[in-house]
Amino acid sequence: MTMRSSVRDAMLAAVPSLRAFAISLCGNVDRADDLVQETLLRAMANIDSFQPGTNMSAWLFTILRNLFRSEYRKRRREVEDTDGSYAESLKSHPEQHSRVEFQEFRVALSKLPPDQREALILVGASGFSYEEAAAICECAVGTIKSRVNRARTRLAELLSIDGADDFGPDHTTRAILSAGGQG
Amino acid sequence: MHIQAAMRKPGGRLSREDQRRLGDILQRVYDDVVRQGVPDRFKNLMEELEEDARSGDADAALAPERAQGGPNADANRVVAAKSFPHDKGSNQ
Repeated sequence: MTMRSSVRDAMLAAVPSLRAFAISLCGNVDRADDLVQETLLRAMANIDSFQPGTNMSAWLFTILRNLFRSEYRKRRREVEDTDGSYAESLKSHPEQHSRVEFQEFRVALSKLPPDQREALILVGASGFSYEEAAAICECAVGTIKSRVNRARTRLAELLSIDGADDFGPDHTTRAILSAGGQG
Repeated sequence: MHIQAAMRKPGGRLSREDQRRLGDILQRVYDDVVRQGVPDRFKNLMEELEEDARSGDADAALAPERAQGGPNADANRVVAAKSFPHDKGSNQ
């Protein structure tokens, strides 16, 4: 039973990162949490295929990514919720400036092609190496590198980085905020 | 003023400074969620799955609920782990 407990603990330890990854992927906190739950259920059901000593976190990320992609294909026609649910999920954020800044960034992130978005997040935020990210995404290391570069360039364009504005609230953010009715 | 990025050649690389700033905010957005920790929903789920596995099969998992009449049984719960007797220390 202690082995099961250690598996459980390892899975729970990965949950915060899995949620952050899932939210970044699907742009909706509720769907993200459902995705994490489904990931944990799949993982427990297939725990025999996990090799002890290997990276539990990477294994879970792989499952989550595959679930997201199969769901994404199903829901392709649905418009992703790129601001409403984020605004909701972030409303309790203590720092107002960060909230606005984060929201603007998330909206930009949501405009990236999924391949680029997941590569950027895995390498740039989840802390995986290029090699690990390639394994999770089942592609070549060079492909991950190129996706990350393209993602960065595109994000910079979307956020109009010019060295002076520093991601502060700009007209885009104001438009989103006034449309959402939340200040 | 806007934009080095637009003036850059297509496929051109971002400056180190731009990369650093992008990386910084990406990390902060991500960590903002990570800092929320593990919602109870997932702690409960894992506890239930563990109890379920311990008890051996799904029928057993539902039995206690039925035995108690289970009027409050929530159909959405994966298993009714909360009504299990805790056997910690006896057979672990």
